[in-house]
Amino acid sequence: MDLFPLYLTLKVSIVATIFSVTIGLILAWLMAKHDFLGKGLIDALIMQPLVIPPTVLGYYILVILGRSSPLGRFLEDGLGITLVFTWRGAVIAATVASLPLFVKPARVALEAVDKNLENAARLLGRTEWQVWRTITLPLAWRGIAAGAVLSFARATGEFGATLMVAGNIPGTTQTMPIAIYDAVQMGDTASANTLVIIITLFSVSVLYFVNRFTRGLY
Amino acid sequence: MSLSVNLKKRLHSFSTEIGLSIGEEILVLFGPSGAGKSLLLNMISGIIAPDDGVVNIDHRDVYNSDKGIEIPIRLRRIGYLFQDYTLFPHMTVYENIAYGMSGLKKHAARTKVEELLELMRLAGLKERYPHEISGGQKQRAALARTLATEPRLLLLDEPFSALDYQVREKLRSDLMLIHQRYPITTIFVTHDLEEAFVMGEKVAIINNGRLEQVGSREEVFYQPKTRSVAKLLGTRNIFKGRVSRVKRAELTIETDEIGEVKATIDPIMHIHKGQLVSFSIRPEEIMIIRPDRPIDKKVRDNILEGVVDATVGKGTSHTIFFRTSDGKASLKIEMPNFAYKKIKPVKGNGIAVSLKKESIWIIPIN
Repeated sequence: MDLFPLYLTLKVSIVATIFSVTIGLILAWLMAKHDFLGKGLIDALIMQPLVIPPTVLGYYILVILGRSSPLGRFLEDGLGITLVFTWRGAVIAATVASLPLFVKPARVALEAVDKNLENAARLLGRTEWQVWRTITLPLAWRGIAAGAVLSFARATGEFGATLMVAGNIPGTTQTMPIAIYDAVQMGDTASANTLVIIITLFSVSVLYFVNRFTRGLY
Repeated sequence: MSLSVNLKKRLHSFSTEIGLSIGEEILVLFGPSGAGKSLLLNMISGIIAPDDGVVNIDHRDVYNSDKGIEIPIRLRRIGYLFQDYTLFPHMTVYENIAYGMSGLKKHAARTKVEELLELMRLAGLKERYPHEISGGQKQRAALARTLATEPRLLLLDEPFSALDYQVREKLRSDLMLIHQRYPITTIFVTHDLEEAFVMGEKVAIINNGRLEQVGSREEVFYQPKTRSVAKLLGTRNIFKGRVSRVKRAELTIETDEIGEVKATIDPIMHIHKGQLVSFSIRPEEIMIIRPDRPIDKKVRDNILEGVVDATVGKGTSHTIFFRTSDGKASLKIEMPNFAYKKIKPVKGNGIAVSLKKESIWIIPIN
């Protein structure tokens, strides 16, 4: 059996999760600790992938980053990065789709850290960066870790947006969910069953660990 | 060490404007909830930005709106004790205390932490986490954590109000001993009258975002400048009347409630005949006249006859609620237990009381 879809899914999901956590931590920190104009709007935009159909999301990515957009042309001609119909495109799709699942719990966890604990640390002579590293992050890390696991799980299951952006090229952009779809379409029940069992076991264990993580927050 | 502030801040439904200056002493900031006490501490420490003004610690501005100075919180070297302790929950008592000592060498820091643990009676608890120790121990650990950074100024925001009575009393005396050892300029915020009296060498009364009076404990408690200060300090026996006679340092005041009252005043007060004044007498300054003895010369003035309405025992003293015979006025009288036992006034008893003229405090009405 061809295990390429499993390999690609893990690669795309890991890279997408790294992106989600990096961008998401900055966003969650901004939203949790600051007030600024347009905060509500940015929040609504980040949360969009949770409610709009993944195909619509994929279409948006194509419009913004595709070859016909200025940004897409710049990436391709200027930096030599092709997104559409490559595994990188799948990473972008998975990142956008999984970002809200990271930002939401991370923001809640950061907001739950008592402001006076951070103020106490400042009063004891610590810099903003030290306060973040020694107080805020350690007290919020369970929520942040839970968000990272959830967004990883979402990335592995990404289907609609990935199909729109990266397509379905076996051996190049065909991820697990797309391979399952393909197998079922072609009547290859044996392959479909194997892949389904792998992905189910994976999802169940992810949720089990998320629950263990989030129990007994400070 | 010294502190002088002059700060303004406007919030949507509240505004505050306060000027204060203190030396190496404990200043008690007393006022009702919502008076702006915590806001003032937050502005001094830099947690909340004032709209306008100056914060000067040891003759150096840490905040000055005119000169555009705003030193970050971490460089102000202010020790701050919060009501809810704010110990870091993911660190042991030891780690909490060592947290602010990042500049020190390892063994120097260790020695200092051990010293503070000893001083605060926490030596056996250093490996415990905050959720494993009691409230009083938490606040002692928080105090040790603050002292470890050698602050130039100590701000205590109702630090003992979440603790029960005995622990609170012990911590107050701990704090005073520590202050004797390290005389740091200290502001102690409280809305507890007894605590204000016990802790304050100097007392500042704040109400509605404004400083009403500041002075020594005796000045503020026994000579309130305004009616509202008198009320905030729990003075119940406040009356109003018109001055009918001024004779050197003695006044006669005509009142509706208790008739003619004589009072001595400080001649610098410039009270003239016909002026409307308020006056008060503290509950513990009212004397009950013993019927079996001749009346002492000192208490011969201002004698009121009446009935005991109720008596309430309070451990070390008794409170007697007294009503004049004509029912126009009532007084709160506080007497120590030994005096109470001699006279034993009970509800319904007819008694006579004297308002010593030296004890009457005149509050001019502006």
